[in-house]
Parts: sequence; structure tokens; C-alpha cells
Amino acid sequence: MDDGHECEVLVIGAGYAGLSAARELARAGVDVRVVEARDRVGGRVWTTATSSGALVDHGGQWIGPGQSLLQKVADEYGAETFPTFTTGEGVEWRAGTRATYAGLVPTSDPAAAADGVEAIFELDLAAREVPLEAPWDAPDAKGLDAQTLGSWLAASVGAAGARALITSAVKSIFGAEPGELSLLFTLFYLHSGGGLMNLARTTNGAQERRFVDGAQRCALRMAAELGDRVALSSPVVALSHGPDGVLATVERRERGEEPHRLAVRARRAVVAMPPALSVRLSWSPPLPGLRDQLATRAPMGSVTKVHAVYDRPFWRDDGLNGQVVSDEGALRVTFDDSPPDASHGILVGFIAGEECRTLDGAGPEERAARAVADLVRYFGPRAASPVEVVQQHWPAEPYTRGGPVAVFSPGLLTGFGPALRAPVGPVHWAGTETATEWCGYIDGALSSGVRAAAEVVASLGG
Amino acid sequence: MAGRDEIFEAYADWRERCNANERLRRMLRGWDRVVHLVARDTGDRFTVVVREQTLAELVEGTDAVADLVVTAASEDFADLFWGDLNPSEKYMSGQITLAGSQDDVMRLDAMSMVAFLDQ
Repeated sequence: MDDGHECEVLVIGAGYAGLSAARELARAGVDVRVVEARDRVGGRVWTTATSSGALVDHGGQWIGPGQSLLQKVADEYGAETFPTFTTGEGVEWRAGTRATYAGLVPTSDPAAAADGVEAIFELDLAAREVPLEAPWDAPDAKGLDAQTLGSWLAASVGAAGARALITSAVKSIFGAEPGELSLLFTLFYLHSGGGLMNLARTTNGAQERRFVDGAQRCALRMAAELGDRVALSSPVVALSHGPDGVLATVERRERGEEPHRLAVRARRAVVAMPPALSVRLSWSPPLPGLRDQLATRAPMGSVTKVHAVYDRPFWRDDGLNGQVVSDEGALRVTFDDSPPDASHGILVGFIAGEECRTLDGAGPEERAARAVADLVRYFGPRAASPVEVVQQHWPAEPYTRGGPVAVFSPGLLTGFGPALRAPVGPVHWAGTETATEWCGYIDGALSSGVRAAAEVVASLGG
Repeated sequence: MAGRDEIFEAYADWRERCNANERLRRMLRGWDRVVHLVARDTGDRFTVVVREQTLAELVEGTDAVADLVVTAASEDFADLFWGDLNPSEKYMSGQITLAGSQDDVMRLDAMSMVAFLDQ
């Protein structure tokens, strides 16, 4: 931004989507600039070192089969991955009782587990009928979009244990209760990520591998490639748009200085933020009604990601793989998140949906205490003394306001869906919510950036 | 290690239970497929045909063109068919591998898990 405040394309947001769009544009020789509100890149992907020196990912972190774009970017930058630890049994907590289980689903009640697997199977089959480019064209789209996943579960799945199993998986995947999710959106999302079975799996699924240096590494490398085209601590507060392009008002917050505003003019803009955040800019003229109403029907999910760091992965001594499925407590799903050399033992878990909201007013200490109490229930007394607990309460993040992904309410896709990607004059949309494959995942963010960049290049084309 | 005869015997038992299971028959609707089983340790190969929601008898060899290939230790095939092994556990640890379209893999994954749970 030092070489003047005019460029061909302005990308707003330096998460994976914005960086991907900017990288494509820069590689195509387009004069592109990226403005990012935070003092870091990566968006919903953020890696830090804990005080004990272990790396933790506060947001998106896994890579699995079929995420070919993320794999390609990782290969390009030499970002190494390693398998999520899965050796041993999982812990099931159900109706006040602890049990261990082998395989994907808890087995203490085999009939309920069979019901649960059949229900997942039926969801995954139905998901394949939803076209990824146009979910609103699915057979009986309106009927599906008038239901929630919760109403479907209540009507179609008899065993309470089966409903609880699906509910705990869904809460961690969406940061939402089944009753908040449009059934059509749920099916689209499942199709987009290869099915619920795939999204729930570690090996052979979405949680298969992790990045040795953290999931933010590729974002940092992309930003490094873009160099001084990326400006941090530069939130856009207003955006005017018209036939000639956009004029963005950026409020720069350089360290030690008073915030100052500057105007950036560009022929095109790529808005790479979740829909709910995009409408917090002051738009002039106002966004079309359909686009604005879409955004207000797609709030962010509710999730707090918690890492409990121990001296060593003690649960492995007990033949446990660190995975939990629980119907009670603040943390109901966990994974082993230890570094590849197991120099620390780290459990990662999600406080999702209702629990996240209940604890929204609680301070980090109370949340940590609740999480540790849950871990003691699951893993025994040794879980009581973590070296530290680190947590990321995403709803409080001013530039994300929740996570991991936007929650599409009933009626959104069929009533407003096409406005998700339709450019508004010179403004194009990126972000994982606009992706057709791996919507909600890093891979989807990357592909949305590629798609938006291609749109921009085509529109500038003559 | 499990020999050919044991795998044949265990499969016959599994097949009978699967074909009598209403839930599994529902899950097999619209899914006529040829599945190859390859025993990693013994090199034995078998073919399972699924047709009209029914599992056919096990056939030795892998002559027909497969939609799906399942590779596992011979002992794991036997234990799975006897109902003693949760296939999901071995799939998760990478000891059972499935090769085929994502759709076919998902279906076999789910049906074999249900066959284990619902016996």
C-alpha cells in the first residue's frame, strides 16, 4: 500500500480464500492488493506456540483425502503433514457411563450404533442428490430447505442413542445444534465434503493428517509470496462501488500510531470474508436486498476450541487414541493433538453449539476448568493437571465472530442461494462458504479464491 | 493366517446373517456391485457379487471386473466374517484398505459396520 492507493483488484481479507484469490491474480500479472483487518494472515486458521513450546492450531487444522487443492499448496510450499494419532480405543460417555470402543462409532449400545450408522448412510445417500453448484435445484429442494437436520432426526431416527451420536458429530462439524441447520444446507455441506462418515473420520477422512508446522504455515507462505501487496491491521470500514470500480475506506492501525483512514481505489474487489461479516462494512450504495438478507440468515457457528497441554500423551499408555464421543459436558468431542514426536501430550476438543453459548459469558478460567473436568471424566485423574490450557473462543473474535463456518438457516439456499456467489457490480465473493467442494474447510477457501480470481480476470478481460 | 477353506466357511456364515438382516437389505438397495477381496498375506483372491440387495456366494479368484477392492490380512477377513472383528477398527488403522469410487467405499464401509453392530 506504500506505492499509492490505487490498484486493479483489491482483495478484502487475508484468510486462505483471500490469499488464494490474490495469489492467482498476482500470478496472472494483475496488480492486486490485499487488506487484512487482523495483524496476521490465515483468518480462521491460526497457529501459535504455547508457553511450553508446542504448536497449536486454534482453527482449521486437518487435511484429508480429496482435499487436493490444499495438498497442492502444501506440496508447493513444502509443508509437511503427519497422520493424526489413532492407535487404540476411543472413549464413549453416554447417559452418565464411560466405555471404550474401537472403530468409528461407540459400540456400548450396538443397536443404537447400527441405527446411527444407517442414519448417517441415509444422510450421505441423500446428500449425493444435492447438486453442489446449485443446491436449490435438488429434488424437493424447498421441502428439504423447510426442514432442519433436527426435525429430520426426530422424525427418521428412532434410537435416542443414534440421535445423540449424530448430534455430537454435527455440533463439532458445524458449531451448531441440528435444529439450527437447514436440512438442504446440511446435505449440500455433507456432499461437498464427501459425506458425514468422511467428515467424522480421522484415517480415511477429513481429520486424517495434520501439518507439522501448523495449518497456518501455507497462509504465511502465500502472504510471503505476495510480499508488500498484503497490508495487515487494515480493516475496511466502508466500500463504495459503481460501474468504474470500488473505493474502499481502510482504517489503518499501525503500531504506536493513531488509526488513520485511507482510500483505496480499484477496478474490482474480492470480498473474502464470511457472509455475516461482509455486511458489517458500510456499503454504498447498499447491497442488493437478496445479498444482504442472505448474509443475515447465515450467522457464524458457535465454537470454542480448547487445547489441554500435558507433559506427555498419558492416555496412550491406557490404549486410548484420545478421541471422545460424549453426550454430556462442555467438551463432547476430542482428538489427540500431540506433536509428531509426542514431546507433549495435547488433547484438543470443541465446546460447540449450545455449550459454547452457555459459556459465552464465562471467563477463560471457568471454561478451562469445565473442559479439564470433562477430560478427567474421559481420561482419568491424570487429565486433571495440564501444563496449560489454551482456548480460542471464536464468537468473541471481532473479525470472525464464530466458527467454524456459517450456519445456513432454513429457507436460505432456496430463497437466496444464487446471491451467494453472484457478483454485485465490481464486487466478487470468495470465502469457504461460497465453495462447492469442501465448503467450510481450508480446501474450500482455496478453491473459492481460485474461482473468484477467474471471475475477476474474465471480467477485466478486454 | 486363515486358509481359503476357513474364509469360505466364515463368509457363508456372514452371508446368511447379512441376507437375513432387513436393515442391511435396505442399505443395499440400488447397489449391484462386484467386490474383490485380496488377502495380503496369503495372496488368496475372492469375488463377492452384490445383486438385488443380496450377497451371492463367495467365488474363488478375481476374474470379473471389480467396482471395489478390499485388501486385508486373511485372518482379518475370517474374523470379520465370523462377526468378531469391527471392520471400522481395521479400516481406521489402515489395516483394511478399500479401493473404489468414493460412493462405493462409503457404502461398503457403512454396510460392513452395520453387519458387525447389528448381529
